[in-house]
Amino acid sequence: MKENLNKALEKPGISVWQKVKKANNRGDFASVFMLAPAVILLIVVSVYPFIWVFRYVCYEYNGITSYFTGTHNLVRAFHDLTFWKSVVHTFEYAGLKIVFIIPFALLMAVFMKQKITGSELFRGIYFMPTIISAAISSMVFAFIFASYNGILNAVLRFAGLIDKNVNWLGDTKTAMWVVLIVAIWGGFGNYMIYFMSGLSSISDDVYESARIDGANGIQTFFRITLPLLSPMLKVILMLAITGAFKDYEAIMVLTQGGPNNRTQVMFLYIYQLIFGSQTGSSPQIGYATVLSLIASLIVGLVTAIYLFVSRKLDNVV
Amino acid sequence: MKKTRNAAVLSKGSKAARFVIFLFMVVAALLTIYPVVYVVLGAFKANGELLIGGTSIFPKEWIFVNFIEAWNEANFAVYTMNSIYLAVGVMILSLVISSMAGYVFARKQFPGKELIYGVFVAFMFINVGSVTLRPLFELAIKLHMNTSLFSVILISAGGGQATYIFLVRAYMKTVPKELDEAARIDGCTFFQTFARVILPLLKPILATIALLSFRGGWNEYILPLVFTMTNQAKRPLTVGVTMLKNSGDGAAAWNIMFAGATISIIPILLIYVFTSRQFIQGLTAGAVKG
Repeated sequence: MKENLNKALEKPGISVWQKVKKANNRGDFASVFMLAPAVILLIVVSVYPFIWVFRYVCYEYNGITSYFTGTHNLVRAFHDLTFWKSVVHTFEYAGLKIVFIIPFALLMAVFMKQKITGSELFRGIYFMPTIISAAISSMVFAFIFASYNGILNAVLRFAGLIDKNVNWLGDTKTAMWVVLIVAIWGGFGNYMIYFMSGLSSISDDVYESARIDGANGIQTFFRITLPLLSPMLKVILMLAITGAFKDYEAIMVLTQGGPNNRTQVMFLYIYQLIFGSQTGSSPQIGYATVLSLIASLIVGLVTAIYLFVSRKLDNVV
Repeated sequence: MKKTRNAAVLSKGSKAARFVIFLFMVVAALLTIYPVVYVVLGAFKANGELLIGGTSIFPKEWIFVNFIEAWNEANFAVYTMNSIYLAVGVMILSLVISSMAGYVFARKQFPGKELIYGVFVAFMFINVGSVTLRPLFELAIKLHMNTSLFSVILISAGGGQATYIFLVRAYMKTVPKELDEAARIDGCTFFQTFARVILPLLKPILATIALLSFRGGWNEYILPLVFTMTNQAKRPLTVGVTMLKNSGDGAAAWNIMFAGATISIIPILLIYVFTSRQFIQGLTAGAVKG
């Protein structure tokens, strides 16, 4: 009787053990262990902070104590002129960066395809800024644009173009342009490489026949290169837009958002609220989370509009 | 060969056009390398010369003492060690994590695989920006890891891993499945198949990942800035040099800042000179496939 019971119990027991063994043979456990580090890091570094953002939306939190303030943060956000100015600056920065960097990068990529003497070397040089830390290169540019002993002022004075030193980074009229120059310097090589890989997928035969038909360089570019490149161009533009809206590292080093908040962009303003700015004001984390959500919403909207427009254009063409 | 083909199809007019393009590219190249040359040569100038300014990018008198001063007195020996630790740490972690995860995603079928993969993709686009530094910083404080660069390594590697995993997964498509099967028949376990048979074949893509992740770690700025705000001894070069610029007493020490920037740029630049092809290919692949 007891033996029978044991036997009856054993049967499923064996099958579980067999299941485990089979799973082990298939590598199920090994897979779990091999995937675990990536998944754990994903959860800790990406998922957890994302959820965390929502936690303090209705609180005032300075890093030590927090208390409930209801919709106060949201109301404050709508009346925060500095923030909305930073939104405008972000659009200004991103828009101008793209307007300059994309055509320039495309032009360089097309030139690269002409296989001119030394183009390998040129490619290496153009791409070089992207391997240097944005923080360090921004600092170097801050030296170049320095008002008293910067080399740019010295050269311009020497050439007789200016009488007295220009305070490039300290003047509200010029600061944004300096920031843009640094951004274009640091990024065009990257987009050029993207365009080059897009161009390499266009067959040489197409160009060959265009040439036989008597098309000149400009015609070839607008009639052949651009249309054939358009799917790739859309992806690159998308990368450029989302990237430009998130930039703040270089600006942080160059101007810290100044002068008079002239180069303040959304994510830099938020950063300063989270960790307290240079002037030593205490962190306002709850408020910063609300602004972050608004900022991501803005970036998301821009991306959505871009996708919508580019699809519409597809139908037209 | 390329040259003869081009010469055959080009007319005289386009030869002139090619020369103009060539000139344009030379100017663009000079403008691109100018800041780097300027700071490297400037590091050999005397502080007095830097503070007065002037139009010359070459030093009046070549001085090496800036580097010695930066290295010994301005803590750059420590910063350099921290940068190396950070960059190598991020590189090793990225290689280990992405090769394993990429292999599993490429070869193993399991429930929820698409979902997990989807979350990886989603978080490449979901980005609430600078605010995420705060919870990570507070988490590190809770775990008593806020004074260690290891937490910076973990976060940096975690932020970049998705691209690298995609690269490995895509590269696995070029590795025939028969190899896995043959290894299994010969008695290898799942992990042994990966470690002994597949890993050696992944070398080219792992080299790319090593380069990209090393660069990522070496150039990391805001993350270590936040984590070493009150801990000068843990700062990497990027933070150490820029802190000097922002601090009042460092503002006059241009020679130290030039030397520091040069120390930060030269190693990664040397690596780039010898591996530029892989760098460029890796970045294209990462952006297009990711």
